[in-house]
Amino acid sequence: MIMLAKVALGFAGTLAVTSAYTFREGVMRVDVDEYRDGGTHVHLWLPAAAVPMVMDAVPRRHFIEAAHQAKEWMPVARIAIRELAKLPDSTLVEVQDGHEHVLISTQNGAIKIDVTDPEETVHVLCPLATIEDVSSIIERSVASGDPGA
Amino acid sequence: MQIQNSLKLVRRVSLVAATALLISPLVPSAVVAQSTAGSNQWLHVRVVSADSGGETVCVNVPLALAEKVLPAINKNQLHNGKIKFDKFDTMDADGVDLHAILDAVRNSKDGEFVTVNGTDEDVRVAKQDGFLLVHVTEKSGRMHHHGKDLKNHDEKNSSEKESAEAGAHAVSHVEVKVPMKVVDALFSAGKDELDIVAGLRALAAQGDTELVSVKDEENTVRVWVDSKNTPTQTGATR
Repeated sequence: MIMLAKVALGFAGTLAVTSAYTFREGVMRVDVDEYRDGGTHVHLWLPAAAVPMVMDAVPRRHFIEAAHQAKEWMPVARIAIRELAKLPDSTLVEVQDGHEHVLISTQNGAIKIDVTDPEETVHVLCPLATIEDVSSIIERSVASGDPGA
Repeated sequence: MQIQNSLKLVRRVSLVAATALLISPLVPSAVVAQSTAGSNQWLHVRVVSADSGGETVCVNVPLALAEKVLPAINKNQLHNGKIKFDKFDTMDADGVDLHAILDAVRNSKDGEFVTVNGTDEDVRVAKQDGFLLVHVTEKSGRMHHHGKDLKNHDEKNSSEKESAEAGAHAVSHVEVKVPMKVVDALFSAGKDELDIVAGLRALAAQGDTELVSVKDEENTVRVWVDSKNTPTQTGATR
């Protein structure tokens, strides 16, 4: 009985630590709702830490061209992300046009984009640390110049 | 007995240290980063459209971010946070020594330097209380004259008289108010260059400042600097 309890405790502990590690960078969230017949409804919640891992697994040739095009803006993006991470929760851009509303803000170390429209709503939340990781991977792929890596 | 107690204490300390080490990577870096935020001045731009839709656009940029990002952009005439003009050809000011003009303005007393009363528009350039002021009023529609920044009653009366003579038909009114320290910083880079980063630093040091105000029949535009990170807290409407 004690042995069983120890195994259960070990399993639960491992699960807790694994979950905490997986979600350490927060959650990347995409919600899209189209308010029409047959409209799309996408609700995607992804551990942010998984995104760089997935990108590492993707053959570089698939995004090397885009990476070359974005090459000169990568240092700018990296600095901007670092500076944005230092901000308290803030509104960066807000556009209100009749019933349409667009809001770009920072929230708990993540960038948040909310588009509210009578026909659709889009909410995207992406941790800045994830964007930094992704831009680093893209930069590395450009630097290595190995499309098949 | 004492040795056993000591061993227990060591075990506990080791356990706490190991737990702390295990948990430390799980603390989001952003939480740490937020506590080290530097300059907290923000540049705000607010555009309110007067049409039926009532479109409103608000852009808020932390000056610290702009200061860091601009030097990283090297595109066209922008390099290392400085904009280079080829002998100011694009500004049609070839042969004009802007630094000499700036020196003259800096060393002169407060007052109006340029006053143009045209049929289409009035232009006024002045220096007042450490600020360079530029006021432009177009006269082809309804008048929006604020009448502020005028130094004395006579000037105000004169201005009001001019407004009345213009038929109170100005379509737009533009006010630009730039601290002289910012102007100095902008021109500190050298000839044919504007040091944008130095200008931003000077602007951040200036504190809360109203920079640009444009009011016409279609839009109201306001650009200002303050320490608040949301436009709603600032009383954005004048």
